[in-house]
Amino acid sequence: MSGPYRGLLVERDGPVGWLIFDRPEVGNAMDAAMLADLPRAWADLDADPDVRVIVNTGNGPAFQTGLDVRQLAGDRDALREQSRRTKRADLRISAWHNHVGKPVIAAVNGVCAGGGLHFVADADIAIAAERAAFLDPHVSLGQASAFELIGLARRGAVEPVMRIGLTGRHERLSAARAYELGLVSAVVPDARAAARELAEKIARNPPETVRLVKQQLWRALELGLTAARREAAVIAARSPLAAPAPASQQELLGEPPCR
Amino acid sequence: MPDRTTMPDRTTMPYTEFQTLKLHRRGPVGWLLFNRPDSLNAMNAGMRAELADAWLELDRDPDVRVIVHTGEGRAFQTGVDVAELATDGLGMERYRADLEAYDLHFTAWQQQVSKPVIAAVNGICAGGGFHWVSDADVVIAATTAEFTEPHVSVGQVVAMESIGLLRKMPFEAVMRMALVGRHERMSAQRAYELGMVSQLVPPDQLRDAAQELAEKIARNSPAAMAATKRALWGALETGLTEACRQGAREVVSVWGHPDQDEGPRAFAEKREPRWAEPERAEPEASPR
Repeated sequence: MSGPYRGLLVERDGPVGWLIFDRPEVGNAMDAAMLADLPRAWADLDADPDVRVIVNTGNGPAFQTGLDVRQLAGDRDALREQSRRTKRADLRISAWHNHVGKPVIAAVNGVCAGGGLHFVADADIAIAAERAAFLDPHVSLGQASAFELIGLARRGAVEPVMRIGLTGRHERLSAARAYELGLVSAVVPDARAAARELAEKIARNPPETVRLVKQQLWRALELGLTAARREAAVIAARSPLAAPAPASQQELLGEPPCR
Repeated sequence: MPDRTTMPDRTTMPYTEFQTLKLHRRGPVGWLLFNRPDSLNAMNAGMRAELADAWLELDRDPDVRVIVHTGEGRAFQTGVDVAELATDGLGMERYRADLEAYDLHFTAWQQQVSKPVIAAVNGICAGGGFHWVSDADVVIAATTAEFTEPHVSVGQVVAMESIGLLRKMPFEAVMRMALVGRHERMSAQRAYELGMVSQLVPPDQLRDAAQELAEKIARNSPAAMAATKRALWGALETGLTEACRQGAREVVSVWGHPDQDEGPRAFAEKREPRWAEPERAEPEASPR
């Protein structure tokens, strides 16, 4: 890997690649340096042949709290670059922005605010620590919010997303409520341990098939139902079997073959 | 108490005797049962062909107002029959041309069934089994049902059934099942919480509950329900504004229909409405 990365820790542990926000003193907010290095961090983990699954989490009490507005206010070039990318809807922040092909698990270890929501909206799977909470303070600062909320609204019920968008910093969505709504699939005491266990399960599946499935399900968010299914059927028809076929339905399910 | 749904009414229209399915009618409810319990109701080539006919038979039977489907034995459906794939020398090759042409006919949605369809998930639903969950209008499940998506674990791309699901329930849960494969199962309780199913019932009461729900739905105007189905499924194809435009066409399509006089009249006279005989609009030429 082509480290070091500013504001990020990038590590590998068995089949699991870790992308860890590492500016705990400022709630892991993204400054110009972290913004500049995120694309490389994602690309390096995606390219590492030993990494099967990527887990994204934060050091310290927060997960991610969005742009480091204070730092960026004093860095005119970085601010201009970010504004340009926003205007063109050409962000390079999340795994989805950076076209990562491997499964990405967001392990939301603490508060996730504003631009931090990119990393939940754009993850394949999201789990949360009990202390995690979600909010979008953009409107409380006079800023419009769009990309993160649009992404979240595609993932489930729309009302809660509109609500966090409009209540701004004056309300938080709890981890428990995020679980009820299906925004996260687990609430756990230790997000890292749970993410590692989950990642190791996914890593047992053939990587090429996993990549195709991920690609098709994201692609389906761009199309109508029939069009998405038609595309997927063709991909399925053209993909060779990457593993030996099981001999029975029981074996397919990982059950003992005898009845 | 005997399961009343296994005691069919005498039907005015005898159904085809299928090898892999059972069809019968109880009151206004047409039942379609997956009947390969020893293979956990896996879909072999025979079942795949029979399903195409079975959906149309029930949709065309004027005595059937609502269709319920469920499985015999401990499983609901576990997808393509892997034993057949492994032993008959054809494997997935037999399906390749149909997939490439997107010419599929085994679900109610694919067959453009106009009547309401309830899936009653009686046990495990795995892999291709999700076709019938994603493509049903209403889904209920036994409290003991389980859901798992093993495709990726055996090197198969899952897509069509997951794509259907992710239009109907939270994305994360669908993606998680699709990527974790057979190494995890979702409980009926979680499926209920996520809105994948709308009702959980003890397993020995599932068929009675499905019959009861179907009879409620059968009290509504068949023409109005068919138009409502078209509007709601159609909305999964487009953006909001366009879906409303097309929905308006469905709303207007039933204006002047005799059911629109009969409904209010029956309500005023405190009796059940006598709806016009439903007509099945023959499917569009384009396959899906």
